Amino acid sequence: MKKLALAVTSSLAIAAATAAAAGSGTSFTAAAEQSRLEFVGVQEGAEFKGVFHKFTAGVEFAPDALASSRIDVQIDMSSVDSKDKDRDATIRDKDVFDVSHNPTAHYVTKTITKTATGFAAVGALTLRGVTKDVPIEFQFAPADGGAKLSGSAKLNRLDFGVGQGEWKSTETIGNAVKINFSLVLKPKS
Amino acid sequence: MPNQNSPTRYSAVAQGFHWIIAALIVTQFTLGWTAQFLPLGARKVARLDWHKSFGMTILTLAVLRLLWRLFNRPPELPAGMTPIEKTLARATHVLFYVLLFVMPLTGWMMSSAKNYSVSWFHQFTWPNLIGPNEQAFNLLRTVHDTLSWLLFALALLHILAALKHHFWNKDDVLKRMLPFTKTEKRS
Repeated sequence: MKKLALAVTSSLAIAAATAAAAGSGTSFTAAAEQSRLEFVGVQEGAEFKGVFHKFTAGVEFAPDALASSRIDVQIDMSSVDSKDKDRDATIRDKDVFDVSHNPTAHYVTKTITKTATGFAAVGALTLRGVTKDVPIEFQFAPADGGAKLSGSAKLNRLDFGVGQGEWKSTETIGNAVKINFSLVLKPKS
Repeated sequence: MPNQNSPTRYSAVAQGFHWIIAALIVTQFTLGWTAQFLPLGARKVARLDWHKSFGMTILTLAVLRLLWRLFNRPPELPAGMTPIEKTLARATHVLFYVLLFVMPLTGWMMSSAKNYSVSWFHQFTWPNLIGPNEQAFNLLRTVHDTLSWLLFALALLHILAALKHHFWNKDDVLKRMLPFTKTEKRS
């Protein structure tokens, strides 16, 4: 009994030590004012860009420990800004983002793999109450005291019900939406 | 030489520019003025998309027409017109040319200011002329709307003048812009 307790205690200690080691320099949060989350949609054949001003990102990342790495982003959907108040009001309304019922979107990676040019991840995106896997590609570059994580993704807005009623038509608003992100990461305090 | 201005008639090229642009302008008024009464939504966006595509078509034609006009003189105005009538007629035509450029350009700038880039019939996208700017958009919209009324008044004057020349003065001012008609050679 004593032996078992000792074994459990020591394995817990090792686990804690490993976690602490992994935690040093691999746990980050995105600095909001220097980070950028952008989307590119197509309206009547012409691209338009918008950003989300408010989002938080928690990142656990070490290039040599991808299995335990994770990117977790929460987006305040009402912070959408496409540089036109009328369009932003329409986007926040029930047919598009429906922010009164779905104020936040959430993305969390499930697997991260190394690619020839950087990294790729598959994560679950919850948007407008629908959760689906969305792949992303990104680069990770350590910078003094932190890191920069930038990349892109593509998704189909209708997979998430973004665009109901008259906004369902892909003639008016294209189905494919590009996402670009650039996160300036600071060590988690 | 069918593409040269004969002394009494507008050439086929000049007539082509005139009637194609005239038809496009009628289309533009229909699309632009009716879109104003639609609520903000997909129908309005689609109608304005047509308006923008036709507008860019007019701007392109206006560039070609002006270049063509610089190297091809139109037929002379009827000898019976007084100097002040001739000046007024020329001023009307100059103003038309100015509006052929200013209307599409202010429209293009409006779209740029509102961050709605202009597509040409979904084939390609024109670059934005200015950055997103709500104040600039409001000013440009006022200019575009006001000038649309000026263009409407000018077109009305133009049509009435053509009819007056045809039925009152009984000269060939209208006929020389009409295809499939003949005008007398002036001595």
